[in-house]
Amino acid sequence: MATITGVIPRPTSYAGVWGWMTTVDHKRIAVLYGATAFVFLLIAGLEAGVLRMQLASADNDLIGPGRFNQMFTMHATVMIFMVIMPLSVSFFNFVIPLAIGARDVAFPRLNALSYWIFLFGALLMHMSFVVNEVPDAGWFSYANLTEKPFSINRGLDFWAIGLLVMGAASVAGALNFVVTIINMRAPGMTMMRMPVFVWMTLITSILLVLAFPVITVGLIELTMDRNFGTHFFIPSEGGDPILWQHLFWVFGHPEVYILILPAMGIVSEVLPTFSRKPLFGYPFIVFSGIVIGIMGWAVWSHHMFTVGLGPVANSVFTITTMLIAVPTGVKILNWIGTMWRGSIEFTTSMMFALGFVALFIVGGLSGVSHAISPSDFQQQDTYYIVAHIHYVLFGGSIMGAFAGIYYWYPKLTGRMLNETLGKLNFWLMFIGMNLTFFPMHFLGMNGMPRRIYTYTAEFGWENMNRLASLGYVVLFVAFVIFIVNLWQTRTSRRVSHDPWDAPGLEWSIASPPPAYNFAEIPTVEGLDQYWIAKQRAEAAGTPITEPEALVDPDTIHMPSPSYWPIFTAVGVALIGGGLLSHYAISFLGGAITMMGVIGWGNEPAAAPSDHH
Amino acid sequence: MGLLPFRREGPLAKPSASISSAPTGRRSSLKNRSVLFGLMAALFLFATGCYKDGMSTWEAFGPVAQKQLDLFNVILWVMVAVFFLVEGVLLYAIIRYRKRPGQPRPEQIHGNTQLEIVLTIIPTILVMVLGIWSVFALFEIDKPPSDGPTPLQVNVTGHQWWFEFEYPDAGNGKKIITANEMRIPVDRPIQLSLFSDDVIHSFWVPKLAGKLDMVPTHNNKMWFQADSDKIDEDLPVTLFGQCAELCGIAHALMRFRVIVMEQADFDSWVAGYGPPPTITDKAKKGAQVFAANCTLCHTIDGPDDPALSASRLAGFLTGGDITPVPAPNLTDLRTRQTLAAGLMELSETTLSAWLHDPAEIKPGNYMSEKAVLYQGSSVSLDEEEIDALIGYLLDLR
Repeated sequence: MATITGVIPRPTSYAGVWGWMTTVDHKRIAVLYGATAFVFLLIAGLEAGVLRMQLASADNDLIGPGRFNQMFTMHATVMIFMVIMPLSVSFFNFVIPLAIGARDVAFPRLNALSYWIFLFGALLMHMSFVVNEVPDAGWFSYANLTEKPFSINRGLDFWAIGLLVMGAASVAGALNFVVTIINMRAPGMTMMRMPVFVWMTLITSILLVLAFPVITVGLIELTMDRNFGTHFFIPSEGGDPILWQHLFWVFGHPEVYILILPAMGIVSEVLPTFSRKPLFGYPFIVFSGIVIGIMGWAVWSHHMFTVGLGPVANSVFTITTMLIAVPTGVKILNWIGTMWRGSIEFTTSMMFALGFVALFIVGGLSGVSHAISPSDFQQQDTYYIVAHIHYVLFGGSIMGAFAGIYYWYPKLTGRMLNETLGKLNFWLMFIGMNLTFFPMHFLGMNGMPRRIYTYTAEFGWENMNRLASLGYVVLFVAFVIFIVNLWQTRTSRRVSHDPWDAPGLEWSIASPPPAYNFAEIPTVEGLDQYWIAKQRAEAAGTPITEPEALVDPDTIHMPSPSYWPIFTAVGVALIGGGLLSHYAISFLGGAITMMGVIGWGNEPAAAPSDHH
Repeated sequence: MGLLPFRREGPLAKPSASISSAPTGRRSSLKNRSVLFGLMAALFLFATGCYKDGMSTWEAFGPVAQKQLDLFNVILWVMVAVFFLVEGVLLYAIIRYRKRPGQPRPEQIHGNTQLEIVLTIIPTILVMVLGIWSVFALFEIDKPPSDGPTPLQVNVTGHQWWFEFEYPDAGNGKKIITANEMRIPVDRPIQLSLFSDDVIHSFWVPKLAGKLDMVPTHNNKMWFQADSDKIDEDLPVTLFGQCAELCGIAHALMRFRVIVMEQADFDSWVAGYGPPPTITDKAKKGAQVFAANCTLCHTIDGPDDPALSASRLAGFLTGGDITPVPAPNLTDLRTRQTLAAGLMELSETTLSAWLHDPAEIKPGNYMSEKAVLYQGSSVSLDEEEIDALIGYLLDLR
């Protein structure tokens, strides 16, 4: 086998669909991740629309309870695992090598493998719509509702196996970024000279590597329970459903920081650029990120205050949860400090970053109120919590991601997103977001539980629900405007390499960056290296107006494209797919995976066309 | 006896003092009208957003809910204060330090360690005070006060999708099992033992206490009490409850009521607990229909036999198509206010609709899924039989 596969040459074409399928270029993989995440954002957004339509009036019977449970389960699962996480990974892919002065990630083929496994895992879970056996037990899928006889169809199998497959992608991708950041920084870039986005990526990636094994254990146990007769979570057979909750939230709480830290990193890049001032308290921002990453492991049971763990356990998690508010608060104060006495320019990117800070304060404050466990007994599992998570994940992660999109889009494409449309996009999103989610605080305090498909008019929940559904319409328009804005960049004006006068290394090279990124690996003298270089040049009377000059790409050795990542990913997806249909397919998938790994290992180091 | 939901005239019948004492526009130093307008809009939203009736947590009828509401009111004002402080500083920075034409590059400041340390210590102290206070409250509401009246023990079991209430000793040693309506005497602590025999549910009566999950094999304990001096309505008063943990397809329809009564009324309800009489011919026929069609799952002659309950549960857990399942005890159905786990008012009409097609009213319910009666295109009872059954169950004469 090895000798046969070993002679297959590497692909040589960079063009067309085939070029994208075999690419190992971190910038192209970033586009793949970003585009995929955006498609899923639209899908999950439409699912949210169905929920909001159903809840817009009391005693509504637009869709039944079965479909409603499927919609909120998939809305949350897709938004978390197929939108926010891959959007973050898209930013990691595009920004990290550029920001640390590297030509690619440490393992380019592994990077491609991560993307393809992620894509196939996501598609696998969406196959549940094709066979109409859609997961319906919530994104947390509490046992033992997920066990037979309570969940008879394969919905939960699609959910568990889809997540297992995507988990493999996440761990592989995260390992890649840990190694890249630790080993591939440009000379002179010490850890404390790394941009904050790089720091947050490193912390997020470490959290991913440590958190995903926990959910993987849980998912394997769930799959075994459902398919192979084990009883991990089945109480009538001596199992314990609470075990699932611990496994889920030991993963689930670090996951919350996995979702928010990248956005905090993006905002920490955008705010200094448009305040024309370095980040205030860089070491405090970095260390508070590290503290959040560590303490994030000690707060998981605040998701379980009402499970009945008793006052002693609840006390411990009350205190730890209270304390984790401190490093978050430190970050907010530093962001405001960055703007203080600055010279703030209101670009769309900056407005999204400011929106992030303003909304994250709300989400952070309601988070502290949950930490008061006795009063949380009333708010747990009500719309008050729904309001909180959307202020953190929409107001936080999504607003942060949009700040990043408007910030780095000119670097990625060399073209500008329209600022007028961008500001319209921002204001509609900001207003729509508050209109949708702020009333949910009241709904929760007025006693509306989460995950109910209908409610009676007598409880007075209808007006606030109407308001929330109206907000959804505003958000919908905001996203349409964003799509229009993306579309118009086909013909929009080309921009210089450094439209924002930004501090990061990525702005010193051409837009879009050449395949090799840096013709000459830069040397780093301090934080905000490109500002240092520009200010020195300006002082010397020779301001920098041009990006680093392009060179003949053949003079720089870059990793060649490869067939094997996508080939191997097909095998991995088939292993999962077989568990959902016919085990023979799993064996076929296993064989393909083995072949892929062997072919991968024996692949020639470079394409024949390379001169090296 | 009709449905008696506890309700006030309107959402603003008793606006809280905190709202009316909010700063008025004229005296505030805010010059910016749009900010003022925003503030007014927020207060208006706040005022109209907070209901006190129904399921609302803004009003407490007992010591546990009161303590929880007190804590929330404190954190609420802490939140409001921190919100206006931090957002205000943010807004100030945004407006004050906006870029002006021809402005040179601002001074490049990298931080201020002293400021950072101060701004770390202040919130640490704040959250620690809140945290320690919460811990004291946790222990305070954990158990009923030992010097008060003897608590009334009630064992609550969650089922897909209804609640079972068992009083091991409701008075004079009488054991009672009922469903979906929990009657409690006022001014007496109620000690609850929470169980589930299928999936996880959560027991929640917002007016009396926060929720606690009902977990299979775990016996969770909580307590609450309804205080007569906190309820300014004539007793009996009906409070709403609802399952708060996703428990399957009919989760949204898993509701219940708590009826707070004077001890004397409670005692007479306990004394009257027993099977419906079969005096009329109609009731006699109804009893026969019941015995022939309903007794695999339902008990009507007093508390369920534990062995029978266990065998019904075992049948249910095997997941067979047609099998006995745990079902609400119907002994005191005629004294209840509601039908189908608090979904609708109990009357001849609603009970008839329920018996004709329960799936139409409550999708997924196990009576329509598992009972032989409902496996055809319509219920396999004729109108006369249904009429007799209703007459028997509701003791119509």
